[in-house]
Amino acid sequence: MHYPEPISQLMDSFMKLPGIGEKTASRLAFYTINMREEDVTSFAKALISVKRDLQYCSICGNITENDPCDICEDKRRDRSTIIVVEHPKEVISLEKMNDFKGLYHVLHGVLSPIEGTGPEDINIPTLIKRLQDEEVKEVILATNATAEGEATAMYLSRLIKPAGIKVTRLAHGLSVGSDIEYADEMTLLKAVEGRREI
Amino acid sequence: MFLEAIELKNYRNYEKVEVSFSNGINIFLGENAQGKTNLMESLYVLAMSRSHRTTNDKELIRWQADFAKISGRVQKKNSSFPLEIVLSKKGKKARFNHLEQKKLSDYIGHLNVILFAPEDLSLVKGSPSVRRKFLDMEMGQMSGIYLHHLVQYQKILKQRNHYLKQIKQGRKVDEVFLDILTEQLSLEGAEVLKERYRFTKRLETWARPIHSEISSHKEELTIHYQSSVSVQSETDKDQLFTDLINNFKKIKKREREQGTTLAGPHRDDMLFYVNEKNVQTYGSQGQQRTTALSIKLAEIDLMKEMTGEYPLLLLDDVLSELDDERQTHLLKAIQNKVQTFLTTTSLSGIKHKLIDVPKIFRITDGQVEMESE
Ligand SMILES: Nc1ncnc2c1ncn2[C@@H]1O[C@H](COP(=O)(O)OP(=O)(O)OP(=O)(O)O)[C@@H](O)[C@H]1O
Ligand SMILES: [Mg+2]
Ligand SMILES: [Zn+2]
Repeated sequence: MHYPEPISQLMDSFMKLPGIGEKTASRLAFYTINMREEDVTSFAKALISVKRDLQYCSICGNITENDPCDICEDKRRDRSTIIVVEHPKEVISLEKMNDFKGLYHVLHGVLSPIEGTGPEDINIPTLIKRLQDEEVKEVILATNATAEGEATAMYLSRLIKPAGIKVTRLAHGLSVGSDIEYADEMTLLKAVEGRREI
Repeated sequence: MFLEAIELKNYRNYEKVEVSFSNGINIFLGENAQGKTNLMESLYVLAMSRSHRTTNDKELIRWQADFAKISGRVQKKNSSFPLEIVLSKKGKKARFNHLEQKKLSDYIGHLNVILFAPEDLSLVKGSPSVRRKFLDMEMGQMSGIYLHHLVQYQKILKQRNHYLKQIKQGRKVDEVFLDILTEQLSLEGAEVLKERYRFTKRLETWARPIHSEISSHKEELTIHYQSSVSVQSETDKDQLFTDLINNFKKIKKREREQGTTLAGPHRDDMLFYVNEKNVQTYGSQGQQRTTALSIKLAEIDLMKEMTGEYPLLLLDDVLSELDDERQTHLLKAIQNKVQTFLTTTSLSGIKHKLIDVPKIFRITDGQVEMESE
């Protein structure tokens, strides 16, 4: 069967999103036909705005409307501590804790030869420059507990430590409020390992 | 532990069957190409989430079907639970107690099996990779921690091999990054090594008396774990880590020239000696067969020691291959403690009179019928 041109175009667009196949795309496209005009318009506007109005902060690499971002610009924040994360969404999780008052640095990835990602391909050079220019006393490495996340943390630690900056690793494993009794062996092992300085 | 029953849907040449098993010995009797090995394989897949015959899961799905399903009910000392594996073109799902287990290491270990097939002679005769796979599969069933370290090791190995390959092709070497990959590999490598060494020693402890008895006390079996670094019982993980690192320093130049990781557990081997002679090189057919049998029987006891439960024993086409003395020995070792499944084309080749009330199933073209109890 042939879809009318506007429908097949919309389906093609939906299928560019992760996890959406032809079936779902066709369901969403037909659903769109019956949506209210203003809902469709604001949907389209939101799509464009997320691309056009957002950029990466030239200091920390986080996504932002203004460059530098609100966090980097906030004079009340503690400029001596930086948390390094893999992705912008981790900044959002950490900000929700409402506890950390320092700054961030977003790498946009991890070191992975398989994917062809070397130190120059993620935001490592900008981090090193930041550490040279600013008065940073501690860097907290919060990359994920995967093999690649660990390698990236170890790599950064080895670059930064000689400059006399304190480097710590965010403990992984036990989630806040979870009971030790119910954690499996591996999680516990990870949590214990998480204590070490790297 | 016991497998109470199994249900297959679209598995190999089975469209839909349900079978209840005996806790003792179950015999699958049938002509060639009727589905005996397929039924055995399904028990193995239910335990290990993968086949021992193929790495391509799609082969397990009945021709023209979209999915295959294996469900079983396992009974342990204090519990009874369902297990389920569903294979489809999109991938596989493993469920324990109706809950999907995303991590293989969370699924494997609920049902333990030991499989003995004619190919297992290659455990003695084959290449080192056969023995490494044996160690990994058997140890993975017993220890989730081992499986975790092994998976990590393999991930880092893949990254390091990629990086060395890029260096060989002319990429500028970031020495700090390569050092870190080497350290990470050595860290996980030390864990894998330590565990493999320990397992090998326990296996030897159990296998020696068995081998001695099967050979009428004429042969003495020893097992040696061979690695690029020296391992002894008292070597601790930190020592192994340091030794691995130092070894990588020694082979640094060669690794860069060849563009791949040249040492570590992925290159190790396990060697069997009978009366101080390597069985692989110098052993007779009979000695090799006795060695393979001793190892498999030792594993039953070792599994009990490590997990507190006897595993299931799957014997595909092996009983009729063994002479009377070895058959008798095998049956004596398993009778009344290990739930056993064995295949044969005829009852005349096996000493079934030795078996207390076997449950016999007749397998014909993907159908299972009970013959006697
Ligand atoms: N995916 C599949 N779908 C349907 N049939 C299959 C599939 N895979 C294998 N078969 C069939 O299963 C049969 C082989 O079954 P199996 O290997 O269990 O035989 P067997 O009873 O063990 O025989 P033998 O005594 O020779 O070892 C073959 O006839 C093969 O065509
Ligand atoms: Mg067969
Ligand atoms: Zn910023």
